[in-house]
Amino acid sequence: MTAALNHQRQTLSAWIMLSPALILMMVILILPILIAFGLSFTDYGLGVKSVDFVGLENYERIFTRSTFKKMFAATVLYVIVVVPFSVGLGLGAALLIQSVRRGREFYKTIYFLPVMASLLAMAIVWEFMLHPTIGVLNETLQGGCDSAIIHGLLTGSWFGADPLASWYGDQCANGFPLWLGDRDYALWTICFIGIWQSFGFNMVLYLAGLTSVPRDLYHAAEMDGASSAWERFRLITWPMLGPTTVFVVTITVIRSFQVFDTVEAIFPDSGGPGKTAYVMMFAIYEKGIKQNLLGTGAAITVIFLMFVIVVTLIQRWFIDRKTHYT
Amino acid sequence: MINAFSLSSTIKHGVLLVGALIVLVPFYMMVSYSFKSPGEIERNTGGFFGSQELMVDERCVKLQDPNKDEVIALRPRFPGLDDDGVRKAFMAEVEQDCSMIPVVFNYSKAFSQAPLLRYLLNGVIVTVSIFLIQIVVALPAAFALSKLRFWGRETVFTMVILGLLIPVHAIALPLYIMLAKVELINTYAALIVPWTISVFGIFLMRQFFMTVPDDLIDAARMDGMSEYAIVWRVMLPTAIPALLAFAIFSVVAHWNDYFWPRIVITGDRSLFTPPLGLREFKGDADGSFYGPMMATATVIVTPLIVAFLLAQKRFIEGITLTGMK
Repeated sequence: MTAALNHQRQTLSAWIMLSPALILMMVILILPILIAFGLSFTDYGLGVKSVDFVGLENYERIFTRSTFKKMFAATVLYVIVVVPFSVGLGLGAALLIQSVRRGREFYKTIYFLPVMASLLAMAIVWEFMLHPTIGVLNETLQGGCDSAIIHGLLTGSWFGADPLASWYGDQCANGFPLWLGDRDYALWTICFIGIWQSFGFNMVLYLAGLTSVPRDLYHAAEMDGASSAWERFRLITWPMLGPTTVFVVTITVIRSFQVFDTVEAIFPDSGGPGKTAYVMMFAIYEKGIKQNLLGTGAAITVIFLMFVIVVTLIQRWFIDRKTHYT
Repeated sequence: MINAFSLSSTIKHGVLLVGALIVLVPFYMMVSYSFKSPGEIERNTGGFFGSQELMVDERCVKLQDPNKDEVIALRPRFPGLDDDGVRKAFMAEVEQDCSMIPVVFNYSKAFSQAPLLRYLLNGVIVTVSIFLIQIVVALPAAFALSKLRFWGRETVFTMVILGLLIPVHAIALPLYIMLAKVELINTYAALIVPWTISVFGIFLMRQFFMTVPDDLIDAARMDGMSEYAIVWRVMLPTAIPALLAFAIFSVVAHWNDYFWPRIVITGDRSLFTPPLGLREFKGDADGSFYGPMMATATVIVTPLIVAFLLAQKRFIEGITLTGMK
């Protein structure tokens, strides 16, 4: 009797306690997805009186127009460049830091700094450093051209190579790239900033993962003849880091898909020279917010969510074989 | 053997140091630019601090250039000069008033050109409100999901797990439309409301509450505490470490967020958050304003960096909480 009463009371207070969270989830997370889905079949615009159902027109446009081809190209390139480098450097830094005896905290702190700093602010600083004429990068590179030693080493002319055949020699003679102003370099430079900003985060996740690898496994492997560091990494560290890697890759992919700050700060009007850095979030912002083409923006949102779902399903598939939340 | 060992560790330190250098360069340049005069920035001279020679603020001088009437009014101050002479003498004074050392120029401009203090205050208001509301919503929910037995618990928890998959930035557009429909664009509410529900917060606190012994709660019930009182007076104090980590996670994300404020704040400067203020600065910066812009960037980045340096362990823990399984 009291148990049943107790149970009833618990059920009631549980739902009361959950209701704010559930209502907010519905309104802030679920409803917008439904709205995006619905609007993606219309030509809706804020303040526009008539709304027409346009079927798949928005999607058709996205998959045929060259602007959107550029959008997919830029987004995909950004993701497939940033993810391996950011994850690889994160792992590399973690392994190196793990293996040195002094200065671990020092390196960890420094590598983590970009994660704390506002990406927008740092993008502006990078833009300035990469300025073709007054930026430090080109000035430093130019300075190297005038030094016989650096020029000789980097172009290989010391070893008898033709200096003009190397990238550095060629640039010395013909001027260094405009970086962000050059359509061949712009997106790569944005990728670089993205990697610079994010790898410290992955490093910390890997460091946490490394502490959970049991020490005796290494001893056992050594006994079994895995003597080189590479063998130990391949046989023990890498497999033991599997769950960490799945997580790190997923979170880096999802974050890379959402790149916006760097592009908007550096190319506010265009999305890069020749729209080469016209990434998805920027497209949503430009079409949906700036141009009030909410139907098109909603369709991009839906496609974006599809991407996120696919990535997460792949992650789930990897993880569900191991972890269960209970 | 000893030699081989120290060689490999030297190489490792070498690689790590080069990496550290690349990571640090932008911070170094940002702070350095914020100290220098426009000339030094353009020519890349002056080392880290710049030479700090007195410079003349051209804008300040131009603003005070007297017109004819003002020259006439100034005549008594410079007796014995013709109008042109009066103007020149006055401008010489103005130039002196408008001279200052670059670091003072940059930072004073950062705060006077735009209401930077207001932006910082907005940043604090928004991040703190978001965090507090997240906690008020998430803690009871996490408690219910971890310590109360009721029909539907599993379903709700599955929803929470699914909710973890939705990046709020991705659904920014429909959220923007909804806020526009209820006329909340350009309000604090627009900056805060979409972040009030942290599914991650619920998940995190639920995982933490699972480890709290049931006896503690039963004892509290025996004492006649209501379920809500248990959440705030029993569970909350045990959850301080997890809450602190979540606070860091939440504050860092929203202090640095640029995308969302960019969308919902359109023009009303008094609502700008720090990144929006910096972005606006960039929009109207001509060459001579790089110094103040970098000073603004430094001011915006510094609070979190300093907090991080003071409590690194906690920060790294908090930020990587997302890595919890």
